[in-house]
Amino acid sequence: MIKKFKDLNYYELLRIPYNASSFEIRQAYKHILAIYEENSLATYSLFVEDERKVILSKIEDAFLTLIDDKKRESYDNNLVSMGEVSDKMFTDKEQKKAIPIFQTNESRTSNNSLTRIKKKIQEKEAADFAATMLKRDQITGKDLKNLRESLGIELEEIFQATKISPTTLAAIEKDDMVNLPPKIYLISFLKSYAEALQIDPKQVVDGYIKNIP
Amino acid sequence: MRRIYSIGGGKGGSGKSFIAASLGILLAKQGKRVVLVDLDLGASNLHTLLGQKMPEKGLDEYIDKTVSRLEEVAVLTTIPNLYLLSSTRCSLEIANLFYAQKLKIINAIKNLPFDYILLDLGPGTNFNTLDFFLIAPEGLFVTTPEPTAIENTFIFMKSVYLRKLKLSLKEANMWHICQEEIAKLSRGALKSPLDLISILTARDPEKGRIFEDLLSNLEFRLILNKFRGQVKENLGEQLVEVCNRHVYPSFDFLGNISYDNRVYESIIARDIFIKKYPYTKTVSDLQSMIRNLTGEEQEVVQVRVQR
Repeated sequence: MIKKFKDLNYYELLRIPYNASSFEIRQAYKHILAIYEENSLATYSLFVEDERKVILSKIEDAFLTLIDDKKRESYDNNLVSMGEVSDKMFTDKEQKKAIPIFQTNESRTSNNSLTRIKKKIQEKEAADFAATMLKRDQITGKDLKNLRESLGIELEEIFQATKISPTTLAAIEKDDMVNLPPKIYLISFLKSYAEALQIDPKQVVDGYIKNIP
Repeated sequence: MRRIYSIGGGKGGSGKSFIAASLGILLAKQGKRVVLVDLDLGASNLHTLLGQKMPEKGLDEYIDKTVSRLEEVAVLTTIPNLYLLSSTRCSLEIANLFYAQKLKIINAIKNLPFDYILLDLGPGTNFNTLDFFLIAPEGLFVTTPEPTAIENTFIFMKSVYLRKLKLSLKEANMWHICQEEIAKLSRGALKSPLDLISILTARDPEKGRIFEDLLSNLEFRLILNKFRGQVKENLGEQLVEVCNRHVYPSFDFLGNISYDNRVYESIIARDIFIKKYPYTKTVSDLQSMIRNLTGEEQEVVQVRVQR
């Protein structure tokens, strides 16, 4: 049975989940207010003045109740005791939060990964790996990928260091002829890639170009 | 698979015929066989939007039994694959059809052998318009961002639902029961189809559910035509949300169609707008509307000016 508007509970009215964060509640409140406010075009002629007043005061009540932790708790308890919802739905905490303006994620800074690569490449194992690869006449995208992975570097970090788009990087690693950039760009991309991994760019470029027909 | 769409919306001048014609042209350009049915009886002029003279054949020949099959009176337009079934030549009294004639036309339309059948409806909420609108399970409501158009569209939407319910209730021999209940309401007014459903459910929960299912089979979409910069960007989404909350929850938003004064100029000059100005925002809006509607990814349709 489709619930009529006047029978909706506050969560259904605002169209938010039962575990909504205060951020979501505020957003939903702004959204619904824009629809039902006095001069809104979206509800023009749909309600007489009294009906609109009732709706707006219900929206106001919903917001003021849910935004206040104490009031919300007693409202929630009331919903549970009326059997409308199970109390499980309130505890399921997967909330949408505001996105912070300044994101200072360590792994996102390229400096950090550069020093990590430097350290890694000096280790004997990795150095050997790089050396055997460079000795080969042809270098495939798979070789590059293996080296990168053995260094414990994510594709994302190469992107951070070189600013080459991850799709292009992936194409290079897959020897994906169709999606490779034109040769002139490819050469400079390979150079940057090699520099990021701190191996000889010239050998990488030559080897890779030989590998593609 | 045959798909039927009705295009209506209550207010006159909101662009129903323009949307119908444009939809028809773009679908035909994709290689689909399309027929446009002009059901604005007594005021039909879809042919003018297609840059066409008054068609030689039309619905009247089917009504007066000159032809036995409706598709025989569909005429090919200047656009390949696009056919027009006009009602222009019908007698001036055709707006008041007999019930039996109406049923005959409705059945014939449902069985037209085309890929797409597009029904262009007249304004207002008279029973003919509502019944023709309900031929298709999928309806497109065209409105514009003016309060007058929005008001009429709400009324039209509710009328469509009530008509559907009323016809089905009559069929099930239950209409008189509802009538009694409606009379008890304040001033005997039904505000929304949801009210009627709850009356039914209060009487007989099982029957209520049956009729609720019946209504949920309908799929409606909203098109906001003549969209301009000064209009609130999300008005269309807001309207759909309101419809789903207060009319019936079966609405989707198809998109805004930008206002372009050249549409008006093309109609005056009896040119086909899409053909004359293929690289306008309005045409790309129409194309993305079709993508939303058919759910098919399609190549960008190029319509060249034919001289």
